[in-house]
Amino acid sequence: MMKRLTRLLSPLLIAALVVGGLPAMAGAQPATTDLVSTGEALGAQAGHDDRAKIREILAREDVQRQLLLQGVAPAEVEERVAALSDAEARQMAERLDQLPAGASVVGALFAVFVILLVTDILGLTDVYPFTR
Amino acid sequence: MIALLRQPGNARYAGVSALMVLLLTLAGCASTPTLAPELRRQLPPRVQLADVPFHGQRDYQCGPASLAMVLQAAGRGARVDALIPQVFLPGREGSVQPEMLATVRRHGLIPFRLPERYGALLAELAAGHPAVVMQNLALPAWPVWHYAVAIGYDRAAETLTLHTGMTPRREVDAARFDATWARSSRWAFVALPPGRLPASAGAETMLQAIADFETARGPRAALPAWRALVARHPEHAMARFALGNARHAVGDLAGARAAFRAATEADAELAPAWLNLGLLARQAGDNAAARRALKRAAALPGPWQPRARRALDEETDA
Repeated sequence: MMKRLTRLLSPLLIAALVVGGLPAMAGAQPATTDLVSTGEALGAQAGHDDRAKIREILAREDVQRQLLLQGVAPAEVEERVAALSDAEARQMAERLDQLPAGASVVGALFAVFVILLVTDILGLTDVYPFTR
Repeated sequence: MIALLRQPGNARYAGVSALMVLLLTLAGCASTPTLAPELRRQLPPRVQLADVPFHGQRDYQCGPASLAMVLQAAGRGARVDALIPQVFLPGREGSVQPEMLATVRRHGLIPFRLPERYGALLAELAAGHPAVVMQNLALPAWPVWHYAVAIGYDRAAETLTLHTGMTPRREVDAARFDATWARSSRWAFVALPPGRLPASAGAETMLQAIADFETARGPRAALPAWRALVARHPEHAMARFALGNARHAVGDLAGARAAFRAATEADAELAPAWLNLGLLARQAGDNAAARRALKRAAALPGPWQPRARRALDEETDA
């Protein structure tokens, strides 16, 4: 039974692979002209080399790991990292913990409250809406 | 300092003087930002972008809310709920700047960082572009990082209009805004569809922003942006070079050759433009032109020289 199925399927599979492979090969034809890409040219202007490229790849893996640690859903992580530019990925990999995270929530320290109240009144800060 | 605070008599003295020093150092920041003379002439006295929708932020989510406002203003149907998993970092209870820019790309718009000047912000508003700004509403020692969307200004009243927090169209004193904005090193960006360019950003900034967008979204999506950049800066060789690559990627070979040729005319030292021009000429069977271009590329020192020499050798052998 199994043998007959295999005998039947094999020629079909071979045919499918050959037919399926043809357009891919035809499509690959223009790629023989391998131009210098914009990214490569800009990278070379900035003094990047192959080692820099490897560092970029490692940086992206690092960011992926950090996002998971920060509680981002695994399904989202890959697309979030893919949308980062090389410079942004590097920045995230090197100092995510120091990057300011926009959130706008005030800590509740009383001494800080008083100082911020004064600076708010002086027009240096913008924490408490009732000062205006 | 800690030792001083342990003695009750000194503690008050230390506290008061620390506060005085703090206020005196900060007082310099809270002056109304000035504009360059030519901006003062060009900018309209008042701008309000009426069609930027407002979304009130929940808990820590000024990032997703600000993004939703600028994305929707540019015609993208991004909801705050959908943006939260794309940009919010639960571990930090906030959103970081690189991911704010990256998320704009995911929605098919190009994020352009603005020059760190108040005048640049007003120039964008005058051009009809709402801008996301990052502020530290408090002081450097106890930061309250916050994203808001600038949607207008009034020069006579010296105010900026913000969609911020739970408040739509809040008029903020320009000096106060600038003091809080300066603490993020005046970080701001506009999110524009490919083909529209910011009013205030320089050619190099735009070039990098479009190149980053192209890497994330592909050359077909970036093509209108390259065209717009070349129209704005026809003298910029790298912009023409990038346009050539995008045209080549979508199959416009004649257009690509024209763009690479224009790039070499704008800057005869741009080796990758000569190299790409030669490679495309060879592909088209135009061997004399290919040899001419490859010779120029091979003569220029730099990272492309070995590749150019190899291509030239193949061409002479053939």
